Amino acid sequence: MAAWFALANGFEPLAIVLGAATIHELGHYLILLLFGAKISGLRLSALGAVLETDSTRLSYGKELTAVLAGPGANLLCALGLTAFGSGRWTVFAGANFILCAFNLLPIRSLDGGRALYLVASWFAGPPAGEAAVRWTGAIFSLGLTAFLGYVMWRSGGSLWLFPAAAAACGAALSGITGRNV
Amino acid sequence: MTSRQAGRRMRKFTSHTSKNGPRPNSTQKTIRPRKKNESLQPGELRRLMQLVICGSLFVVLVAVKLLLPAKMEKFNDELSAALRKNMDIQEVFSAVGRAFGGQTNGTIEDVYQAVFHPKQEEETGKDNKEDGAVKTPEPIKMQEHAALDVLHSYRRAAETAGTKDEASEPTEAGAATPSEPEETAVPTDASTLAYIQYSEENLPDTVSMEQAILGFAYETPLTGVLTSNFGYREHPIEGEERFHYGVDLAAETGTEIDCFADGSVTAVGESSSYGRYCIVSHESGYSTLYAHCSRVTVSSGTQVARGEKIAEVGSTGMSTGPHLHFELHKDGLYLNPIYYVSVS
Repeated sequence: MAAWFALANGFEPLAIVLGAATIHELGHYLILLLFGAKISGLRLSALGAVLETDSTRLSYGKELTAVLAGPGANLLCALGLTAFGSGRWTVFAGANFILCAFNLLPIRSLDGGRALYLVASWFAGPPAGEAAVRWTGAIFSLGLTAFLGYVMWRSGGSLWLFPAAAAACGAALSGITGRNV
Repeated sequence: MTSRQAGRRMRKFTSHTSKNGPRPNSTQKTIRPRKKNESLQPGELRRLMQLVICGSLFVVLVAVKLLLPAKMEKFNDELSAALRKNMDIQEVFSAVGRAFGGQTNGTIEDVYQAVFHPKQEEETGKDNKEDGAVKTPEPIKMQEHAALDVLHSYRRAAETAGTKDEASEPTEAGAATPSEPEETAVPTDASTLAYIQYSEENLPDTVSMEQAILGFAYETPLTGVLTSNFGYREHPIEGEERFHYGVDLAAETGTEIDCFADGSVTAVGESSSYGRYCIVSHESGYSTLYAHCSRVTVSSGTQVARGEKIAEVGSTGMSTGPHLHFELHKDGLYLNPIYYVSVS
């Protein structure tokens, strides 16, 4: 994936994206470390990296903080670069902001989905959380699939988006069917 | 045949065992395959199906490649064009970053431009991405070689003939540094020559060499030195032979660029290849593009009149010196603007 992305867009955007992703994961990592949760590994998927962690012992509030720490780190970074970069770091600030916004989409495999699950579970119980993330996730995944497909179609290329579109489509299907696709 | 037999035998055996219950010893040997068969059912059958589908796809593709090589070649070209064509991701980030920093001015357009390379970026011969000529990539790709052969033979013939004036036109367009063109470049000569050079076969589908009757009043955006004509040329920076979708008129930086005809400004933007540019839509589906400007003095959405100043000459974007890159479009088709501009 990274190689494809680099091939399609050059190494500079790859470095920018990886930099923003590192900041994102660092955000998660630091908060998890603060809460004393164990991190068992890092798994890469079409929609990004996933920190595998033993978060079962974390309270809803703490886990929510840890989940939101990734996008939060990106947002802070973007804010910092905008405030102190005096216009020089717009590319990296933009990448951070996009990563933050993308990860906040309420789709199960993304931070937004997890956050939605946690909030709904916190207030209405895990079944409600499950239902909320399933259906919201399905709708947003469908939207994301359509959007990525549209971008590829309209730009007549950008095929490196295809794995993400396929993953979003898979997420939509699993939301609709209720099974893992 | 054998599998069917085996299947039958196993089925038979299944019913047999279900009636009589599992038997030890004597039937043990035959029970084993049944167990195997059962474990095949859930996961492995699916995998087997996947294998069959993949295998069939492979066979079909090989068959298509062998039986319809031209179609496959076309598909291949389309696919590789799609693979090469990408949004300007850095520009997207940059525009979002600027928007984030509060500079909302024009950033939406920038994002749109960067993601979709809307019309204007597709049409450029100066474009650094291969998508310059790819509104319909396949015919261009296939025709390019033919077109280049024609051009090369034409040039060779022209060089050996030693007819200075005629030879200077096409080679001038192909020269690596187009900043010093011949003063004798007469538009009508250039256009006639271009018209002769390009037959229907070697032109990109999106290009027309015909002189259209515009049906409205127009005037030259500026009077400059023609440094690069409409047509195939060796790219001054990238060195490749590419189609140049407009004319280049060299003029001093800051020279006023006037609007070609009455219309409305539909896009003002900046791209790596065009530099600062703007597009004006005119009546009857015509539009004009002005690129490499040092600054654009109108904003998107404003109505402009013929002769009104809309920009100033510059060398922004992929450019080797101050000039105006001028394009004329009609309904997505690139027309040769040489008929409508005056050169000094």
